[in-house]
Amino acid sequence: MLNYVIIAWRNLWRNPRRTLITSASVFFGVFFAIMMTSIQKGSFENMIENMARFYSGYIQIQEKEFMNTPGVNNSFELSPEYKTVINNNQSVTSSTKRVETFALASNGENSYPSFIIGIEPDKEDLKSGLSEHLIKGSYINTNSVNLMVGHVLAENLNIDTGDSLILLGQGYHGVTAAGIYEVQGIFDFPLPALNKQIIYMDIANAQEFASIQNRITSNIIMVESTDNIEEVINELKQVNDKDTNVYTWQELMPELLNLIEGKESSSAMVKTLLFMIIGFGVWATIMMMMHERKRELGVMIAIGFQKSKLLLLVLIESALIGIIGVVSGLIISFPVFYYLFHNPIVVTGKMAETYESMGFEAKIAFSINPEIFYNPAIIVLVIFMAVSLYQVFFIAGLNVVKSLKS
Amino acid sequence: MNVIEIKSLTKIYNSSEVQVKAVNGIDINVKEGEFTAVVGPSGSGKTTFLNMLGGLDKPTSGEVKIGGVDIWSLTSRQLIDFRMNNIGFVFQSYNLIPVLTAGENVEFIMQLQGKPKKERAQRTKELLEAVGIGDRINSRPSKLSGGQQQRVAVARALASKPEFILADEPTANLDSKATTSLLELMSNMNKKYNTTFIFATHDQRVMDKARRIITIEDGKILKDEYFNRD
Ligand SMILES: Nc1ncnc2c1ncn2[C@@H]1O[C@H](COP(=O)(O)OP(=O)(O)OP(=O)(O)O)[C@@H](O)[C@H]1O
Ligand SMILES: [Mg+2]
Repeated sequence: MLNYVIIAWRNLWRNPRRTLITSASVFFGVFFAIMMTSIQKGSFENMIENMARFYSGYIQIQEKEFMNTPGVNNSFELSPEYKTVINNNQSVTSSTKRVETFALASNGENSYPSFIIGIEPDKEDLKSGLSEHLIKGSYINTNSVNLMVGHVLAENLNIDTGDSLILLGQGYHGVTAAGIYEVQGIFDFPLPALNKQIIYMDIANAQEFASIQNRITSNIIMVESTDNIEEVINELKQVNDKDTNVYTWQELMPELLNLIEGKESSSAMVKTLLFMIIGFGVWATIMMMMHERKRELGVMIAIGFQKSKLLLLVLIESALIGIIGVVSGLIISFPVFYYLFHNPIVVTGKMAETYESMGFEAKIAFSINPEIFYNPAIIVLVIFMAVSLYQVFFIAGLNVVKSLKS
Repeated sequence: MNVIEIKSLTKIYNSSEVQVKAVNGIDINVKEGEFTAVVGPSGSGKTTFLNMLGGLDKPTSGEVKIGGVDIWSLTSRQLIDFRMNNIGFVFQSYNLIPVLTAGENVEFIMQLQGKPKKERAQRTKELLEAVGIGDRINSRPSKLSGGQQQRVAVARALASKPEFILADEPTANLDSKATTSLLELMSNMNKKYNTTFIFATHDQRVMDKARRIITIEDGKILKDEYFNRD
């Protein structure tokens, strides 16, 4: 039994080279688009996750002035209503209190500005695996009065574990904050910016340093996945607390969001260009396939082929070209990027420095977000629909008598 | 019985400056089972005439009735179906769908007509044997000679059991041996199935086989003669 798919398929292989080149161009377009997006999304996802884990969390509760005027003056006490929501919501995986303040860290001649983070050591470790990033010394206990310092800051200050560090800052309502502390651990983060600035101490120690008693500057909430953020936020916003605001990571790190959007729009341009080139290639192929068969198509109409059937036939032909390209692109790219998602490429040497100087962890992470795979497929579909319009007009305008003369 | 009735058929081409009356008021009837040649010098209007007769080219004025149906009053979709069911075509060359085998080319038209599979297979075999290439049923057109391709085209034209078969210079690209044998084939088919054939030609050998010769000049009928060839 002859059907249109078989005839269309045979028609494609009348000129195998052209069909293969066209399908291959679609394949490469799909593959490269997936690769570009996977790497880009992967590095952003990695960065967001690192930032959220070690620094901002996915959701924060802050005193409402803190965003504009950070500092211990804008600290607060977490209300019981918030605690109820946090404890009862299934999507919340952790909730930890923090005190954040700035201080000058000095060791002898060397002084550097630093960012003090008072943490609940056990909870913070559960949340971010902070202790795994220690490269020297040990992790602080609850109620410890010692410090953990980022390795770049430690190198700059020329201090090691066991050494003392003087911290000088401003406490609650202008009170002087000062203290001398022992360095117990040195850590190395996948976020280069943090290594230069951060000093961790126990939250009680930080509260005492800044003279804020039981107050905190933020409460950090982690959720199961980024998809849960909205739901948890909405619930937290039900709490009627005039003194505090609830923020998402996007609101907390607007620079990161800007960076992501900027990079995404520039790569969207590259992809648009890529698919435009492919689109013209596909169009040229389809156009040739139609023109060189003008007489044949005319004969078919003459002997009794309805134009609608003929159109169906040529549409199947172009669809097959697209399907070969897209399906092979997806079949080959999915396992490749699935593997790379689980085994990111670790970057070393000069490349690693470049990565870190841009604020990224020195590894090429990949994303396997479904839209990375179906977006190029949709774009190819749109291209082929546009090209099909050409076929529609060609068939509709085909004059049998003229085509028989050609 | 008249298969075709043509009344004051006219086709005027309006080129930039001059008006060409390619066919200029032809009245003619064709009876069932005729084997008719349309002859005339180049540019006399043979192709234009046949195309209007076959429902391919719309007349400027006049009427073509096939089996009582005024074909130019049909919609274009109806006309295509009408051609499929009532008219067989044999063109000068490249008649066949290149990606289909000889057998598939013949069968496909019956598939379009919605004939059952068994009937299609049987008739395809029968027709290809009748035109003398039963052994090439699975060959693609590119593997057949010009003469063999034209034979398949005749078999395909017969497949739909049309009212008549139109052939515009079917032998123009054939050597003299293939020309003679194609003509013999068409003549045999005409006798065997009583199918009406109308063909345009320049070729004297082809005219010699015709039992009716319509001579056209400047779009008008100059002569209309009958011959007894038995
Ligand atoms: N599309 C067209 N536009 C203008 N003039 C045309 C067109 N088609 C045919 N003609 C003219 O109509 C006349 C008849 O042409 P036609 O093709 O029917 O002749 P023919 O008898 O088939 O010639 P040949 O033996 O060379 O095939 C010629 O003068 C031709 O130039
Ligand atoms: Mg002609």
